[in-house]
Amino acid sequence: MFESTVLYSILAVAVTVVICFLISTLLPGIERKYIHARIQQRIGPPVTSPGIMAPIKFLYKKNIKPSSPVPGLYKILPIVCFLVVLCLLIALTPYAFAIPALASLVAVVGLLKVEEICYVLMGALSKSIMSVRMPFPDRVKGAAHLNTTRSFIEDISARRSLRMITYGSFPMYLALFAPVTQARSIFLQDIVAYQQAHGPFLFTVAGGIAAIVFFIGYMIILNEYPFSIIKAKCDVIEGPYMEYASKYRSIVFITRGFLMFTLGVLFSVLFIGIPPTIFSPTILINIFVVLVFVFMMGIFSAFTPVFTNRQLLPTIIGATLLGILAIVLGLL
Amino acid sequence: MGIKSFSRARAIHVMLVYTGGCNGCDIEIVNSILSPRFDAEQYKVFLTWNPREADVLVVTGPVTHLNRKPLEAIYEAIPEPKLVVAAGSCALMGGVYKNIHGDIPSEEIEGPVENIIPVAAKVPGCAVRPQDVLAGVVTLLPTLLDAD
Amino acid sequence: MEEKVPRSNIIETEIPLGTVHPAALEPYRVRLFVEDEIVQEAEITIGVNHRGIERIMEGLPVEKGNALTEKICGICSNSHVWNSCRTAEIGLDIEIPERARYIRVIMGELERLHSHFLYLAHGCETVAHETFSMRVFYLREIVMELLAMIGGNRVQYGCPIIGGVRPRCDLDEAKLLRLKTDMDKIEEGLTGFADRFLADSILISRITGVGVLPTKQAIRLAVTGPTLRATGVARDLRTTMYEYDDFDFNVVTQPDGDVKSNLLMRVLESFESIKIIRQAIANIPEGKVVNRDWEMFDTDMIESYIEVPRGTLYHSYYLESGRIRHCIIRTPSMANIAAMQYACIGDHITDAQLSIVQCDPCFTCTDRAIEIIRR
Repeated sequence: MFESTVLYSILAVAVTVVICFLISTLLPGIERKYIHARIQQRIGPPVTSPGIMAPIKFLYKKNIKPSSPVPGLYKILPIVCFLVVLCLLIALTPYAFAIPALASLVAVVGLLKVEEICYVLMGALSKSIMSVRMPFPDRVKGAAHLNTTRSFIEDISARRSLRMITYGSFPMYLALFAPVTQARSIFLQDIVAYQQAHGPFLFTVAGGIAAIVFFIGYMIILNEYPFSIIKAKCDVIEGPYMEYASKYRSIVFITRGFLMFTLGVLFSVLFIGIPPTIFSPTILINIFVVLVFVFMMGIFSAFTPVFTNRQLLPTIIGATLLGILAIVLGLL
Repeated sequence: MGIKSFSRARAIHVMLVYTGGCNGCDIEIVNSILSPRFDAEQYKVFLTWNPREADVLVVTGPVTHLNRKPLEAIYEAIPEPKLVVAAGSCALMGGVYKNIHGDIPSEEIEGPVENIIPVAAKVPGCAVRPQDVLAGVVTLLPTLLDAD
Repeated sequence: MEEKVPRSNIIETEIPLGTVHPAALEPYRVRLFVEDEIVQEAEITIGVNHRGIERIMEGLPVEKGNALTEKICGICSNSHVWNSCRTAEIGLDIEIPERARYIRVIMGELERLHSHFLYLAHGCETVAHETFSMRVFYLREIVMELLAMIGGNRVQYGCPIIGGVRPRCDLDEAKLLRLKTDMDKIEEGLTGFADRFLADSILISRITGVGVLPTKQAIRLAVTGPTLRATGVARDLRTTMYEYDDFDFNVVTQPDGDVKSNLLMRVLESFESIKIIRQAIANIPEGKVVNRDWEMFDTDMIESYIEVPRGTLYHSYYLESGRIRHCIIRTPSMANIAAMQYACIGDHITDAQLSIVQCDPCFTCTDRAIEIIRR
């Protein structure tokens, strides 16, 4: 009996993850075609192009040895990122509730942290052609400061992701812990059970505020404009991803859509109390929440410029204070 | 049509390298991709600034002396299969800067682009029209799709 | 505000950007010397585009030389031909028909519109506001089509020739009507954009106080054009040019010299350009467009200064049996490079490219042999 339950659970998780993954590949296309292009009054790319066709195309490109001091590690990092997101999604399915170590907020936070640390490593290990290595005679007689240390643009990006780890992701983690104040437990199972008994946390005052904070944190974690300082086009071009080519770039592309989906599901688990499972029609609510998040993010990013520290700090401090307010309200 | 060709036809990443010249072609090309009037993205052509991501390298300008090595380096950085579109009369034959001397060679101009990297398609015009650039990238499609 | 000085003593690292970079459409190398992401000094290396135009022009027949000046720059191509023809006209005492003068002004102002729109779009693109950038590009397309209608090409129009304008660039009733209706369209679109732009508090807070160029420093660095006017100095060569005698327009200035002032400066100046074009359409006289009745003779050095979209443009040459000798061209960006290097001091790296873009660089124009004479 026990074996069959385990087998059934594994099968259910696998099917759910595959379905979620397939839907997640559409998300970048939806954002680009239906939101950005619509706002910019143009036709835009086909929905399948950015999220599905581009990764498949990259799979068929020949790989090049990335210009990096540790090419092996650099190549592994996107795979680690993908596996982290995969684990996160598995942790959110109701079948994982049987493993308390995985299906708890501590695990969720830990997995997201791994993701962020990967960005730092990627940035530190990438040495692209676009800055220092560009063959240009700029250190010549008469040039200023010939003896300074030279820094790649990805190094700036790595330093910025480090900064994002220290304070940028506060709003996200505060919002994650807001539901705990109601359910009095860090296990997803209890949070879901509490909300199914007492109604969604989203529709309380504390929940509403925490949802706003979660949205800001969502955009920061996804490095979308305006918070995309680690891959701002106007200085660091693509930041940590500069050197990925062929299948590694394809994984980078896929991971982004998958992370968008997973964070949306995380919201629906923590704030509405609906874990994703393919054997229940409630998965439609999960998908709906994901789409709402993608739409909101698309609209927000289409109308904002990239922030520098001058705007970023107040925004993050504001969001953090809101998050604390939500937690305090929840505790009262 | 296999999945390889199918996917390649639906996502073409274009990188633009500008190697001297008068800036006119360059602005027309960026314009053709950024302006909602032409909107290259509807033809599945995406602009990128990272050589590792690019499939098609659009080169404009006559390749001045200081631009030769950066151009070669960027071409090297693009993973196979890659194709080069030379856009504008400067990229095609050195333009007025190379040819106005008659037979006396110019020391400033290393171009045309063909002398430095293999060129797959040539888009004439001074300056190129956005429509022509899009047509040039699209004519490359059969070559790009069949490459391994 | 105090003058900005580079603080070389606290530089930690150097970040070189270019020659290919998304925020800089043209090839140039900029080395940013930073202390914890704050730029303390910047060095811009040009010369990447050097094609030796003056060297090529040496000894060319003056008509051919004029055509070649158009290839100096793809943005202000008309201004270069205009000023080159003007130089010859000054030297050879050629009278230009009234109608040709009006058409030259219309072309000049249309070019100012397209250059300013390009600036706005590029500025918005550099702060990563893709939506605004696209909206400006959409407006710019109207101007580009007008230019193509008059000149026959979208970038190199070849409109002025010695003695007037090329006969194919003559404006008939239908073209004037289209100019008139399109001016209304542009004005409407630009007004809408400006309102939306100023109402966007996120964007305004992002660009206010970034890349400030103090007035005193701007004057000391001999900055020209809209970049100077955005620091509060009302200096516009158009007020002294005889071509603009019949036109009524204001010299727009902005107080702060930061990115916001610069962007607004371009918007407001575009409205003035629209005003000038409307006056030209209303009052355009009948008659010939080109005066072929002139003779070539040898001259001393001829100099001509005009106001182009980016500032003051200088052309000079000698004429010797119909050929150009010792041509010197000084473009506005030449003077503004120093401003770019100073404007980004004290700003974040993300704003450094923006501070360079705000001075409206055109390094293709600028790349030529430079001799710095210290006095």
